[in-house]
Amino acid sequence: MLELLEVSKRFPGTVAVDQISFRARPGEVTGYLGPNGSGKSTTMKMITGLIEPTSGTILFDGLPVRRNRVASKQRMGYVPEEPHLYGHLSAWEYLVMVSQLRDLPAREAARRIDGLLRLLSLDGDRHTPISSYSKGMRQKVLLSAALVHNPDLILLDEPFSGLDVGTALVLRDLIRELASRGKVVLFSLHALDTVERVCSHVVILHRGRIVADDSIGRLRSLMALPTLESIFAQLAVEQDTAAISRQIADLILS
Amino acid sequence: MSQLQFRVLYRQFLFRVVDLELLSPHAQGGAGKLLGQFAALLVLMGLWLSLGASIMADGRKTRSALLIGAWGIEHTLIATTMLVVGIFAVLSWDSAFPDRRDILVLAPLPVPAATLFLAKAAASASALGLTVFAFNAFPSVTLSFALASPEGGVLDLLLSPDLYRSFTAYWITMLSAGGFLFGGVLCLQGLAAQLLPRRHYLRASALLQMAAFCLVVTVYFLQPPLASPPALTAPSNQRLLAWLPSYWFLGLFQQLNGSMHPAVAPVARRAWMGLAAVACGTPLACLLCFFRARFPIAEEPDILPAVRGGWLPCFGNAFQTAIAQFSVRTLLRSRQHRTILAFYLGIGFAITVLYLKANDARGQVPADLVPDPWRSGGVALLASSIVLLSAWVVGTRVVFALPLDLRANWIFQVAPLRGGTECLAARRRALLALSVVPAWAGCAVLFFSAWPWKPAAGHLLILALLGIVLAELCLHGAQKIPFTCSYLPGRSDVHLTFWICTGLIMTLVKEAAEYEHRVLSSPARYAQVLLLLAAAGVVARRYTAARALSDHADPQFEQAEPPVILSLGLHGGGAAE
Repeated sequence: MLELLEVSKRFPGTVAVDQISFRARPGEVTGYLGPNGSGKSTTMKMITGLIEPTSGTILFDGLPVRRNRVASKQRMGYVPEEPHLYGHLSAWEYLVMVSQLRDLPAREAARRIDGLLRLLSLDGDRHTPISSYSKGMRQKVLLSAALVHNPDLILLDEPFSGLDVGTALVLRDLIRELASRGKVVLFSLHALDTVERVCSHVVILHRGRIVADDSIGRLRSLMALPTLESIFAQLAVEQDTAAISRQIADLILS
Repeated sequence: MSQLQFRVLYRQFLFRVVDLELLSPHAQGGAGKLLGQFAALLVLMGLWLSLGASIMADGRKTRSALLIGAWGIEHTLIATTMLVVGIFAVLSWDSAFPDRRDILVLAPLPVPAATLFLAKAAASASALGLTVFAFNAFPSVTLSFALASPEGGVLDLLLSPDLYRSFTAYWITMLSAGGFLFGGVLCLQGLAAQLLPRRHYLRASALLQMAAFCLVVTVYFLQPPLASPPALTAPSNQRLLAWLPSYWFLGLFQQLNGSMHPAVAPVARRAWMGLAAVACGTPLACLLCFFRARFPIAEEPDILPAVRGGWLPCFGNAFQTAIAQFSVRTLLRSRQHRTILAFYLGIGFAITVLYLKANDARGQVPADLVPDPWRSGGVALLASSIVLLSAWVVGTRVVFALPLDLRANWIFQVAPLRGGTECLAARRRALLALSVVPAWAGCAVLFFSAWPWKPAAGHLLILALLGIVLAELCLHGAQKIPFTCSYLPGRSDVHLTFWICTGLIMTLVKEAAEYEHRVLSSPARYAQVLLLLAAAGVVARRYTAARALSDHADPQFEQAEPPVILSLGLHGGGAAE
């Protein structure tokens, strides 16, 4: 289980994440939602160890991630929001490097990489430099790199970005399948209809603070709202969206 | 509208000389600092050469003797300006032409192609002008004063028209020499882009860049000293002079300075011809390339089919193999890093040439004796191999510190990396594989083919130990995975000191090579040297390993300035954290 206890992250002049606490359990998919700049990616980066929390504790299976950094990283798979990859390497070379860094046996790594590239339709371009890949292809490489070592904790930050419809459907089912096999899955997404289909539990973040942490069904009944979109709009959207769209149209047409 | 577009694009292209993405987030104003360091290096070189120009001024000499006597330093300044411009042209390779990013970003915008072209051309010309100015700022003044009439007082000197004529002639000559070389390189690129299909051009371009770099460095260091009337008029030198542009511009300077000598008239004509050819050819080649290449670039497929890359061996355990293979692939595929390594190798090669030339000038073997390469050129080759190995190791260490795709290094940060000795071992293997091993292998081929096997094997053993010691010294410091740590400008003082001390280092290496040459014929002393080097290797390795286990254990991904205020980590009770 992944547990965040009173975790904060302050950057000079701003508080990105303010004393958040929540749990993501094995066997369920936890959706981590919030508007742009609410602190979702910062939280993901703190869990992976890319950045240090200013205060608070992150536990994975009861052990602090900070003190067991190597062991925790060995059990994590992470898809970042931006698809930054080494463009001078091919997908095959990149995934081999990742599996070596994660100390996978060479033969097992080759079998898994081969399978992932084939199943994600990258087989024909496995030796092409990543620099010439489309956004969706890069996303597939990121997914493969996050899953190749069979992690127990899977962190997905906007994983559907750039994916074609077919691959997006595969990923949606894969997330559910991995959770059903005991993995802890935490993923953030802006497409709320997909979140509604995939997640059993959501955490909604607004301005660095948690404003909701419950199952989607309970939130619906508690707030007496029919959809996740309406719940999200009430909790995390402060603006009058219709008025803003009218103002934009007025601005450019004037 | 068009003027504003020009200004915006000009600034973009001009400041793209430095790749800002390499810099550490801690580098506040880093690009300016980095450019400032380059400029300071050029100014320092110019100041050094201007000392040579200033000591030439001698009131006892006649003006004509003074003018001819100055040919040597004038030629050195012209040749060095051309070397500096040549290196600039190699480092800013392709920057004068539109790349795929330019086309894809700017094509949808209402920017006329002519504005784009002019902004690129103006940015290149400005950067070139600044380079030439930084190097020649001091020499232009000192040489002009030295060449002006030495009779009379300071006021006479300041009012002398010769002073201003020399100054003007100097700047026209240097800008022409720089423009000739830069234009020639652009012309070569433009022609290659026109003649070859784009895919082949992209591959050939990397080779052309390295070839141009080698040519510039080799010509600078290998060209013979011909800056005297007898040498310039000797029939045996005429063929050589036809291929040495630095002498053409020496002739041009004399012509513009009003000190034309019959000996330099033919080479001055060549300078004008060369300038005319470049002035016609370069704009034409650039224009054709610019306007014709736009559509092929935009239309080329995003994903090109590729075959599997070359096989690479294992370098130890999985982690060490990952780091070493990543390093090898990055150095082989990154043009920027290859060029910087080539710069260090070029300097090593230049010092080698100096050793060999000095050896040739000193030791003339009598015609009736069979030449023995071990006896006659042994010391020079020993010294050369040490210098080349050192340049290779230091150059590789320098390029390791420059990141590639810095934002992609997150994969190393989220990977379960074991720092300390594990990381050190991976870095060591990468450094040895990319520097000591190829340098040593090249030397082995050369020495076994040129020398008897005993001294060859003896020296190779010493060279291997020396390489290991050097590599250990280069690994000293924080644990950084090659090509993944951001670069903080302002930490190159060591390199500057190193290059300023080159003369001292060359003398030391020469002395060491002479000692080794003697030692190789005495087994007992040879064994002592081997033991000493082995001990140095063990000590260096232990010291580096001890550092890796202590406070420098975790891999570092961001280079930061050491804190100005040192925290003692004490809390209320006085106990350390």
